[in-house]
Amino acid sequence: MSTPLLEVEDLTTTFSTAKGALTAVDGIDFAVAEGETVCIVGESGSGKTVATESVTRIVKEPPGRVEGSVRFKGRDLLEMSEPELREIRGYEIAHIFQNPQEAMNHCYTVGWQIVEALQIHRDVADETARAKAIDLMDRVGIANASSRFDDYPHEFSGGQKQRVMIAMALVGDPDLLIADEPTTALDVTVQAQILRLLEDLQAEFDMGILFVTHDLGVVAEIADRIVVMYAGNVMERGDVLDIFERPAHPYTQRLLNCLPEIGGRKGGIPGTLPDPLDPPDGCRFAPRCEHAVDACVTGDQPAEIEVNPGQRASCVHYRPGRDDSVVRDGIPDADADGEGVSSADD
Amino acid sequence: MASKKPEQFDRVDWSELSESSRFDLSINSIGMLAATLPLALLWLYDYQFVGERGATFQAIGLGRNLDPLDYFFVFTLFLFFFYLVLPLYQNPRMTRYYWAEFRRNRPAVVSLGWLGVVFVGGLLGPLVISAPEQSILTGHQPPMFLSINEANVATCVGDVVNGQCQGTWQHPLGTTRGGKDVFAGVVYGMTISMQIAFITTTIVAAIGITFGTVSAYAGGWVDEIMMRFVDVILSFPTFLMFLLILYIYGAGLGMFILVFSAFAWGGTARYVRSKSLSVSEEEFIKATRISGASTYRVVRKHVVPNVASSIITQLTLLIPGFLLAEAQLAFLGIGDSAVPSWGQLLSAGRSDLAFAPWIVLSPGIVLFLTILAFNFIGDALLDALNPEAEAESA
Repeated sequence: MSTPLLEVEDLTTTFSTAKGALTAVDGIDFAVAEGETVCIVGESGSGKTVATESVTRIVKEPPGRVEGSVRFKGRDLLEMSEPELREIRGYEIAHIFQNPQEAMNHCYTVGWQIVEALQIHRDVADETARAKAIDLMDRVGIANASSRFDDYPHEFSGGQKQRVMIAMALVGDPDLLIADEPTTALDVTVQAQILRLLEDLQAEFDMGILFVTHDLGVVAEIADRIVVMYAGNVMERGDVLDIFERPAHPYTQRLLNCLPEIGGRKGGIPGTLPDPLDPPDGCRFAPRCEHAVDACVTGDQPAEIEVNPGQRASCVHYRPGRDDSVVRDGIPDADADGEGVSSADD
Repeated sequence: MASKKPEQFDRVDWSELSESSRFDLSINSIGMLAATLPLALLWLYDYQFVGERGATFQAIGLGRNLDPLDYFFVFTLFLFFFYLVLPLYQNPRMTRYYWAEFRRNRPAVVSLGWLGVVFVGGLLGPLVISAPEQSILTGHQPPMFLSINEANVATCVGDVVNGQCQGTWQHPLGTTRGGKDVFAGVVYGMTISMQIAFITTTIVAAIGITFGTVSAYAGGWVDEIMMRFVDVILSFPTFLMFLLILYIYGAGLGMFILVFSAFAWGGTARYVRSKSLSVSEEEFIKATRISGASTYRVVRKHVVPNVASSIITQLTLLIPGFLLAEAQLAFLGIGDSAVPSWGQLLSAGRSDLAFAPWIVLSPGIVLFLTILAFNFIGDALLDALNPEAEAESA
């Protein structure tokens, strides 16, 4: 792997709330190389979105507080001033969001908003910007782009809006695209089109993509590597194939078990996410883990251990000298589901 | 949906596209500048060469003198035209949509027509109709189609039939005790009312929006201090303040507008702040920030336009208060009696109510209709611009 485009180390994001400090992201590491797609996976509320928003520091500070190091092309984003960051945002690192309906200002036409995104960074005359915006709309697959330029967001369908959002993200020819659940609000057929579009664009622009999702089907389709997050911590990471074939961490195993199969039963994970204001000692997942032993509930989140080449898991069972067969074999089928379990991908 | 595989992407050649747009002002701002510049020059000329008392246009033989209030009024008219009327024309689809919504409220459409009459009358009236002049001999003339006992008038301008003095077209709404033409008085009062409406709105909007958005975006103790200051402003006895200033500096319409708008923006600021806070939580604000926009840009281009619809409604409903306050003060005899406002006319006729009610009724009805019109329009704007607010209150 070449030098990573984005290298996140020990990223910690806390929010001060009336009830005390809330740690949304608890010292996570990950890296994205040029042209690579990294997926952050985890159930809702596990800190995925906060982690990506901490990268360009758009979490509100205060009450938020971002620590650690985020190196993008060798520069630490967390040490940059706000004006320097603005140069990076939307230009070198672009974002697209879960809900395209809400990510657009309904006061303005779609074209106006693309032009705005363009003119924030580039000193471009209005006509040139307009031509460029129409070109971008055309490229992301909006039919009759020039006549749709003056339409308002409510006149676009959800999929088209997401295409427009992608067009807006492309204005700066970004090196890194952060896609925060970009397909969650779309129906399955449109989802596939958007994913294909992203893949095409990635090939063209040689962008790194940091993709956040809770949808494992999407992950299987788009990811090169996976980072599994739970309660602000990384549980497991590795190549997409390794993780789907041999999930090492009990949480990942449970998560994969949640995937509905045709004709099969839908699994779940008993219990709920821990209280972020008062996280449990030891492994964050221990309270919900059927393999938990005493070592799981003391100290900090266990250090990541290489379980297979390129695949690491944060689980005490892989510590040297322990028998990892308890977890390596995955979950027994017998208790694959149960009453009152919470679905992992709601 | 067309999802054909996009053709090869070209790298954007930015050097080719880098024609400067830094000084690309919008047509609205260019128009505003082009209109304001001559106005500023005229004011400078007036101030430097003509002097305060001399008529501004004496060099070309016109007798009209412009005071600072007139300049400010014209300036607010320019603002109104270039940033409210012109954008409506520039966005015909939006305008058609809002007009369709607005039109459903019939009283509001009639009100708009009435305000149009007041606006045009106030703007052009003084140019065609000469100012009402004192003429003791023709005092208490009745309006057209009405008559008054001959004993009450010194000289009857029209015919005297059976001892009753008949109204004439010369004074369609009659005259006051001093012989001032009531119709001319009403028309001149329109100018005053329009000046009050436009100037106070501009001042209140400027201070309120700035204060509200800054407070919302600054947060923390800055927000706290600014909002406590608003509390002070809101609980300030404006009327007593006005009396004090009146006592020290003397009354004038300019002073009235200044004092009353200086203490009226508190509600607007508070409203803008709460609206800005809720808008700033919207996803598209985050999207704009994430695409690298500065806070100023986010506020100017995204927060304010999204708040604007509610502010417009709020301001429209604020204007009647000013008009009424002015009329009340004038009626009580507090204020500059040289200002030909509706309130002054009301006050001039109150002692003659028994036999010459038209002196009070004409400006009174006009004032009543104008205030009613503003309220109806505010209501219709609320429905047209802010449908969710209507749903909440329904």
